[in-house]
Amino acid sequence: MNSLERILAAVRFEPTDRTPFMPQLFGHAASMAGVGLDAYVRDGRLMAECQLRQQERLGNDAVFAFSDLGVETEALGSRLRYYERQYPEVVAYALAPADAAAILSLPDPARDGRMPAVLRALGLLRRALGDSVLVAGGVAGPMTLASQLYGAETVLYLTADDRPRFEAVLDFAVAVAIRYGAAQIGAGAHLVTVLEPMASPAVVPPDFFRELLVPRLRRLMAGLREAGALATWLNIAGPTAPILPHYAELGADIATFDYYVEPAEACGRLPRTCLAGNLKSLDFLAPSSADLAAQARRLIAAFADRGGFILTAGCEIPPEAGDSYIAALAEVAARG
Amino acid sequence: MSATGFQTMVAALLAGDHAAALAEARRLRAAGVSAERIVTDGLEVAMGRLDEKCTVEQFNLLEIMLVGRAVSVVVQDIYPEGMPPAQGRATFVIGTLEGDVHDLGKNIVKMVLIGKGYRVVDLGRDCPVEALAEAAERERAAAVLVSGLISPIVPQVRRVRAALQARGLAGVAVVAGGAALKQLAAADLNVDYVAETAFDGASYLEGLVTENAV
Repeated sequence: MNSLERILAAVRFEPTDRTPFMPQLFGHAASMAGVGLDAYVRDGRLMAECQLRQQERLGNDAVFAFSDLGVETEALGSRLRYYERQYPEVVAYALAPADAAAILSLPDPARDGRMPAVLRALGLLRRALGDSVLVAGGVAGPMTLASQLYGAETVLYLTADDRPRFEAVLDFAVAVAIRYGAAQIGAGAHLVTVLEPMASPAVVPPDFFRELLVPRLRRLMAGLREAGALATWLNIAGPTAPILPHYAELGADIATFDYYVEPAEACGRLPRTCLAGNLKSLDFLAPSSADLAAQARRLIAAFADRGGFILTAGCEIPPEAGDSYIAALAEVAARG
Repeated sequence: MSATGFQTMVAALLAGDHAAALAEARRLRAAGVSAERIVTDGLEVAMGRLDEKCTVEQFNLLEIMLVGRAVSVVVQDIYPEGMPPAQGRATFVIGTLEGDVHDLGKNIVKMVLIGKGYRVVDLGRDCPVEALAEAAERERAAAVLVSGLISPIVPQVRRVRAALQARGLAGVAVVAGGAALKQLAAADLNVDYVAETAFDGASYLEGLVTENAV
């Protein structure tokens, strides 16, 4: 069983030879290779090389041509500031508070911003790995892209002050995600994870998620599937327990759950959806060295009878995380 | 005026309706209600109710921001020059450290503390550690609050206490919060407390101020 087969088997609740291990290692691959993030996030060849080197060393079951949530908004006109040791940040948003999304046009993934670099990385990764290791892309979910276009504070006030304009930017964001996600699948991605941190119940109430985001995420998942994704993956961190039941209805095959949600609770809320989680991301930085390997063993045991589980953190593992922590996890996964 | 006379304003604040809250605050002021009572019987009552509602499971930025905006609009109207020190119970210095441009969490903490009657000196985002310590000395702050969404600022957070001690401010508490920082223990960050939410942090600070006053 190779890595791709292992992950797809877990998605289908079929037996696996060991627990799939899919840590969300994005910029960490750059740190591990001694490459600055400012170069990594803009150079598709470098991104692919770093991911391949990391995968060779750790044996993780997936590689990612994804770095940060600024790609789409930059392609649409936002200005970013780049750093060597952290991800780029938006310094000027594409939309002013009074603007409507209608002033923007859908991006061309072959031409705009860093999208071509990501597509190049995906093509190189797929050529190198074929169907042996899962090659994943990533897009910002609609609420997250809306906040990257206006700024988080502006968009949250917009939800109350001008609902039609807010819904228009959400719809535009879905169209962007489908177009960019389809291009990623065309370039070589087996699947495209939908990163939607701004939809977390820590940010918006569960009713808001159900009413405004579920229909749009359903449309996005269907669009990615139609473009050829082997599976769909919804990636929301934080205390997601109240919204997990909606993941099945919106068509997510893989659901990330964070450390706030106990495995038993996640299983109860999503009995037939593959769960990916739920180690605490920042434990990978703690000098007090939380026993991640022991936590991983407990997680594997908790899902032993159920199946449908992928070992990872509930959010991205920070670029500056210690390699030894991740290697220890890989070893646990290899045994279980 | 009895506390029930403030119900309309409290309801507007909790609904996040800043226009209605402002109109009601102005009506009360025109009826002779003091600015102090607007704060104690209106704003603080609303923030108290929100605090009760916002457990870790139910805390969400959207609702807090809408209530916080309504509170800020009323405070700005009754105190155009800012909350006077005599009215503010204690002063806190807050900032997002250098390299982190996310200030949403910081702004929410600020709104919650202002709503509870505290004076907050906001140093904005991308703030050097030394600027925080300098402001703490100048403003005679009871605590320094640092917010962080991203992990690369962790080393800076660990330096805040030393910067305060270098100015003889060992007694000034350091409180951290935000999506990244709250995943780490206080000892890991070299701070006095790591707040899970804005209200959790406010509750810690209330205890701290009360303890210092005794």
